[in-house]
Amino acid sequence: MMTRRQLLQAGAVAALAANAHAADAPLKIIDTNLSLFRWPFRRLPLDDADALVKKMRALGITQGWAGSFEAILHRDISSVNQRLADACATRPLLRPIGAVNPTLPGWRADLRQCAERFKMAGIRLHPSYHDYTLADPRFSELLRLATKAKLFVQIAAAMEDPRTQHPRLRAPDVDLAPLPKALRDIVDARVQILNLRPRGAHLELLGKIPSLRLDTARVESTDGVPALCKRLPGRVLFGTHAPLLIPEAALIRTHESAQLDGPTLRALLAGNATTFLTA
Amino acid sequence: MNPADLQLGLPSPRELTGFRIWDSYFTPSHAHPGPNGGDRLMTDIERSLPAIRKGRFEKLCLFPHVGIGTTSDAAFEKTARAKPNLVLRPFKRWPKLLLGMIQLNPNDVRASLDALNRWLRDGPMLGVYFPGGGPGSLTCTHKNFEPLIKRIAELKGVIMQHTWNKTGGKHGPGESTPAELATVAARFPEQRFICAHAGGEWQRGLRAVRATPNILVETSGFDATAGFIEMAVRELGPRRIVFGSHLPSRSLGTELAKVTAAQIPATAKKRILGQNYRTLLGLNN
Repeated sequence: MMTRRQLLQAGAVAALAANAHAADAPLKIIDTNLSLFRWPFRRLPLDDADALVKKMRALGITQGWAGSFEAILHRDISSVNQRLADACATRPLLRPIGAVNPTLPGWRADLRQCAERFKMAGIRLHPSYHDYTLADPRFSELLRLATKAKLFVQIAAAMEDPRTQHPRLRAPDVDLAPLPKALRDIVDARVQILNLRPRGAHLELLGKIPSLRLDTARVESTDGVPALCKRLPGRVLFGTHAPLLIPEAALIRTHESAQLDGPTLRALLAGNATTFLTA
Repeated sequence: MNPADLQLGLPSPRELTGFRIWDSYFTPSHAHPGPNGGDRLMTDIERSLPAIRKGRFEKLCLFPHVGIGTTSDAAFEKTARAKPNLVLRPFKRWPKLLLGMIQLNPNDVRASLDALNRWLRDGPMLGVYFPGGGPGSLTCTHKNFEPLIKRIAELKGVIMQHTWNKTGGKHGPGESTPAELATVAARFPEQRFICAHAGGEWQRGLRAVRATPNILVETSGFDATAGFIEMAVRELGPRRIVFGSHLPSRSLGTELAKVTAAQIPATAKKRILGQNYRTLLGLNN
């Protein structure tokens, strides 16, 4: 029979072994911000789904949450989501993230379709391109219904730098200021902001909504990603915005300043996304 | 896993070393070097060192203010004029790593001509930078550029001109576009110009400078938009592109991946990442 001291020592050894195992485990990387199909304004080197998946595998990315570029301008959203679901069904690395445009007639049916027919985990919104604000009551209703259907909601704060947009198709960055009010009564809502370049006012706002997540695709400066991880622990999810942006860029940014320790880096690359997905 | 040893998204250290990376656009404390004539500048350089080491950079070019009105801080301007050693502080601390091109102020032609003699003729600077914002900015088609470019050409200096094509038009009166730079460069066919940021909106920028062979484009200053380098190589050829990092306000990831991840031959990457810049500076040995 073991003494209490022996038991404690055995436990400590087991814990050390478990930590060592975790440190040596293969790195999991979940890209929460991919898109399939054609960017409306030019061809991209990785705008073929197979080429994109091949690149993701080469970079060690183990799962990609894929929306559809078609969702930006198309109005036949149900066929957009159907094509996305079909493309992801044959590529196990990809999880489809459907589109819903609450300014279109019948958007509630699109939402139901994402949840019930396509079994999607979440939806992606493009308020600037779909011409509504986050103060719009339809957005609040969408959030409520999505949450009830156990869907997470990604809000694309931007798709492209406003300075480089097509002059006849200018979409300003989404104003996030109404979010606290929109989220006030939806306690279980899971919301991630994509493509945000966080500035002072954003950080203040993020501080007010502890459940809000964001991605790394357009976080700049050599130490911008570590700074964000420190400020918002557990809330920063890795995302590349590929194929519009070069996926290697976001990967390098996670470690170039050598500021994140192993556990934080693992959480950023996959753990935080898994928690968000399963919350 | 040791995060410091990670190469996620990067070529191997050996490949990076083989590229012999020279960065033409290093921007620590770009608008103002900070208190005491440069404390923030020194801190910003230190802040960039992990990325510089990770990228295996050989050299980086920064753009010091030399007291000719390129900042709006009168006290700093006076100090920089009186104590040129302040300007040299980072170059003395990192002599093997740093190159320099002074920021010129085309709004003050006389002071800029004096600065050219002090810093370019007498060394150690290798060229000039014309800013796109702040009190030293002026659209490059302005007549004030004429005497400055003539003098820079006599001194065999390199010209880095800030450019951006912004949807909706310029955000400031001193900004320049690649098309405006092409107009100027056509008047000085023997002088080489670098079109910083390739105009930001690079599809338009590359087309604007395509027919002006004495313009090279610099790669930094905008999102890591896929397809840029591929188009630049196709339209300009690999010899007219120079790498810039824009560190530390931009990231190594954004700027280096534009080139290392591009679907172009390795020889073209090597040219863009350093060889072209060394040729331009006459330091290709």
